[in-house]
Amino acid sequence: MEIEIEAEIETENIEKGVVRDMSELSVTEPAKPGSSASASGLDAGIGGGRRSSSEYAQAGFAWVASLLLTLILLANAFDYSSGAVKTGTLTVAAAYAFFTLVQIVITLLIRRDLAQVGYIRGGTRTLGWLQLLSLATGNVFAAAAAFQLIKKVKTPEYVFAAYMLLTQISVIAVSALNLFKPYVADTFPLGMLILLVVAGFQLAALILIAVFVKRGAIPRWMNVLALALVVTTATGNLFALLLGIVLLAKIRSQQSPASPRWEDAIDRLSRGTTSMLGMFFIFFLFSLSICSLFTFDYGMAVENNYGAILQPPSLAYPLGTDNFGRDLFSRIVFGARISLIVGAISTLIPFVVGGVLGAISGYYGRRTDNIIMRALDILYSIPGILLAIAIIAAFGANTVNLILALSVGAIPTYARTMRANVLMVSTYEFVDAARAFGSGSLSIIFKHIVPNSMAPMIVKATLTIGTAVISTSSLSYLGLGVEPHIPEWGNILKLGSAYLETNSYLAVYPGLAIIALVLSFNFLGDGLRDALDPKLD
Amino acid sequence: MRQSYSFTKTLTVLLLSLLLVLAGCSSVKTKSDSAAPAAATEGGDSAASTSNAAPVDIELLAMTSGESDVNIIRDQLTKNGFNVKLNLQPDYGSFKAQEDAGNYDVALSSWTTVTGNPDYAVRSLFKTGGDYSTLSDPEIDKLIDKAAEESPEDYAATYKELEQKLVFDNAYIAPLYISYKSQAINKDILNPESVRLSKSRALAWEDIEFKDAAKNSTQPLVLTQSASTLTSLDPIKGNDGSINTINTNMYVRLINLTDDDKITSDGSLSRNFSIAEGNSDYYFILRDDIDFAKVENGKAVDTGERVGADDVIFALDRAKNKDSVPDHRTYSLHEHIKTVEAVTDPAALDSVKAAGGGTVRAALEAGLDAPISELVSDKKQADNKAGKYQVVKLTTTEPFPQVLNYLAHQSAGIVSKKQVESINTYDVAKFDVTKDIPYGDQNTVTEGAAYNNTLYASGPYILTTKNDYEAKFVKNPAYMPGTENEPKISNINVRFIADADSALAALRSGEIYSYYGVPETKYSVVEGDSKLQLQKIESNGVSYLLFNTSDKRPVGKSADLRKAVLYSINQDEILKFYEGNKIKAASTVSPLVDTGNVLTADPAKVKEFLAAYQVSK
Repeated sequence: MEIEIEAEIETENIEKGVVRDMSELSVTEPAKPGSSASASGLDAGIGGGRRSSSEYAQAGFAWVASLLLTLILLANAFDYSSGAVKTGTLTVAAAYAFFTLVQIVITLLIRRDLAQVGYIRGGTRTLGWLQLLSLATGNVFAAAAAFQLIKKVKTPEYVFAAYMLLTQISVIAVSALNLFKPYVADTFPLGMLILLVVAGFQLAALILIAVFVKRGAIPRWMNVLALALVVTTATGNLFALLLGIVLLAKIRSQQSPASPRWEDAIDRLSRGTTSMLGMFFIFFLFSLSICSLFTFDYGMAVENNYGAILQPPSLAYPLGTDNFGRDLFSRIVFGARISLIVGAISTLIPFVVGGVLGAISGYYGRRTDNIIMRALDILYSIPGILLAIAIIAAFGANTVNLILALSVGAIPTYARTMRANVLMVSTYEFVDAARAFGSGSLSIIFKHIVPNSMAPMIVKATLTIGTAVISTSSLSYLGLGVEPHIPEWGNILKLGSAYLETNSYLAVYPGLAIIALVLSFNFLGDGLRDALDPKLD
Repeated sequence: MRQSYSFTKTLTVLLLSLLLVLAGCSSVKTKSDSAAPAAATEGGDSAASTSNAAPVDIELLAMTSGESDVNIIRDQLTKNGFNVKLNLQPDYGSFKAQEDAGNYDVALSSWTTVTGNPDYAVRSLFKTGGDYSTLSDPEIDKLIDKAAEESPEDYAATYKELEQKLVFDNAYIAPLYISYKSQAINKDILNPESVRLSKSRALAWEDIEFKDAAKNSTQPLVLTQSASTLTSLDPIKGNDGSINTINTNMYVRLINLTDDDKITSDGSLSRNFSIAEGNSDYYFILRDDIDFAKVENGKAVDTGERVGADDVIFALDRAKNKDSVPDHRTYSLHEHIKTVEAVTDPAALDSVKAAGGGTVRAALEAGLDAPISELVSDKKQADNKAGKYQVVKLTTTEPFPQVLNYLAHQSAGIVSKKQVESINTYDVAKFDVTKDIPYGDQNTVTEGAAYNNTLYASGPYILTTKNDYEAKFVKNPAYMPGTENEPKISNINVRFIADADSALAALRSGEIYSYYGVPETKYSVVEGDSKLQLQKIESNGVSYLLFNTSDKRPVGKSADLRKAVLYSINQDEILKFYEGNKIKAASTVSPLVDTGNVLTADPAKVKEFLAAYQVSK
């Protein structure tokens, strides 16, 4: 039904002369007839100008974000105590200001284009190439908007490939800051070489995908490229994994006429600016956590250096040093690993345990349901953070106990979510069909019901993983997490909080890191919820 | 397709720039590059510590409050080839429990010699059977006893020898640093001159006054301390930070210490004191203007009972007697007291020569308004203006001039014989902590059902009530009224703020008026605040690592291993961390006696001792 309505609007617009040339539309290419993707694809540009143009939305977001960054940099470019100007920071601020201006111009041009002709003109898109240079200043917001702008027809593959490259370049750039240190890790040159080679390959992949991948038509030889991309995931770049899997799966499913539901979900996900940026930051941190094994020196983060106590930020110590002379930048990079691991595992454990309990409880109902859910209700009645503190106080503070402590308290909420879904899904016909075919209860639960109840669980997991990261940091801040010298964001923040007045950067940067990670998970969770919501089909 | 050509062009440019970066990478100095020449120049110093031997496990026990020290020590030990396991405990109680259970190799400990004499700095810590001692070494015991009998001129050499045995030969402890004692005062509220900062003794509350003297009787003075659980308000049953200041201000002593640790009668129960020839007999002439105070309906009232010789004798007798109360924490401080008795015959004073020349009587009468006309045995009869005095004679087991320092300690505070005997009616041997309520139990002054304040205070202030948030004190109305020692401020509230940063924040916001023990890293903050004044003085507090000397641990058995730890400690680095606000130490006597011993970090020795340990294992 929906398709028909959309088609009507389309004809209407053409009649009014708003849309002159279908090929110039800033929309995803129309898919094969019969594919439900076309519906969601078409409404992007035709429905009407600015509001639904993803380029316009992202450009708007990018100029606001980079203006904020510019202002922060400008505020930091002056030494308020002595009145002197820090030339280095000022130069960077000027570069940011330039790209912010360009971004504002781009936004205005898009706005004009959409108002006047209803699509974005080629000239405006060319500006995207200039804006790509903002990548050199580390302005990922502008760069992401530029990638979005320069390509007229965007497939999810292109978006993922762009973010993949962006992630890789960001990791390389951050790792390269180590060059200013007195010395680098022994594995640094080799690690950087591999990263650069991978980045080169990924750039090539981006170009190939931009040129050859069309919606619904992916050349078969891309199988090789996809496999190679999966291999490059070894650097921790999950975009490469995602892209590789999407390519492989799409090539496989090309024969079948129906487009699977997940393709729509991926498509919707790739079009959300905030969710993609959230995903970018998470994947960037993940990749950095893995690459830092080779490109960062752990000694810088844990060994005291009494010659460099409380140094303000400089090139050698990009975020300054703490009261033991340890490099805050290295500490935050290594801290990401613990925060991510603890956050991920302490979400995974209740996901699995709560999921299984909820599924069993929802499927069998009656007494089983009562016993399991009432037991979980008892657990649920204990405040999570208090339970965690009690567990750690009883069994001692270390990473494993920390993960357990955070996991146990979260089990009931996952069980409830799963149970509710299972209750709904188990009434569907295909479950009856499976039962009629003589499937066992367990096989029905885990083969038929659970896979169809996953969407809300995944969304819940991404949303609560941020809470887990905060809880980890809170417990470390209270001295109940990992050992104090181990770089963990909560630990770093705790130490920094004592210097808020004199050396505020010690608290500001780890605080920002925590905020950014939690925000990213929330953005991603929101994006996933929209993407997986069956009502949007 | 045109787009793809421009892509290819960009790709070529990018790949070329990659090559350039790679060329740059090859000239980058890596960690092993930079470590190798460093090791060569330092003669196989720190970097060479990554010896091929497996790292030795060391368990370091500490409180979370000592996190900075822990991190420095951990770092130093790790760099010298140890594998450090941390055992961090949140508070002193759990720390002590772990220590008592022996769950440590080295424990981060600190000791403050509150009596200001070197004997105290070693006796209860290192002598066999000492109340904080885990050591048993006859040689050490002998040296401690030898030094105790000597005068300050002679004992320096003995303490030097003791340090040599204790630290450098056997490494029973590894010294870290001496701290400064610091105090920040809100000078807008308090008169800074009235707030004393003494090297050893606890803060004297009675001297403090507001800048605006009119507030003294109307407004409470708000102070702070970190511990909210008070060990005991019976002076002999506790000797720790939770009650030192409180008990010092609740119970008067025979003698006091000046701010620089000299013995004085000022602000004490005695008007004068004298040491008889031979350094074994000590005479004190008592004041007649202090009465015990008690709490009635939240107010302090004069009990009408004078603090007299019988209370002094009772208090000191129970202080030296290990079995006078359960959980006696301070008897070892007073083990040199042989007898305490009242002197009733003035002629007995005439016949004894004072150590400084002249008779004891002359020494006791010096500066008194009225000379001794009569010595009374009943404290109610004493009337100093009429020449009626009480004199107490204390005899030590052996000549021991430092006994006076112990008498100035809070554990020698004078309690009421009548009151304590009426409360402590239980049998000490069969004391049941669940049934019997001893004198000074903190539960009797804590708000709630168990509240039953039976305290009798001989000092300037008395505790009326406490909760987890604060303890409230009021002035003893019968404490030296009309003299300069009469408490100036009527009410004192001590807030319990466990965290140093929070306490400092409370001071800066004006919630508390004085903060004792500002962390070194916060000096600059205090100095930068115009309403605050920072006072700083070298303290008797020493931080050190205590080794577990039980046979269950390798460190207990192997002196080589202990010495390897000892020589890993680099005090210069510690001083650097504290921005020079710490002083080097060689042992717990360092702040009191200049022995000339210095601990110098020596990675070469560490390697040597570690190798010797590996061989012996």
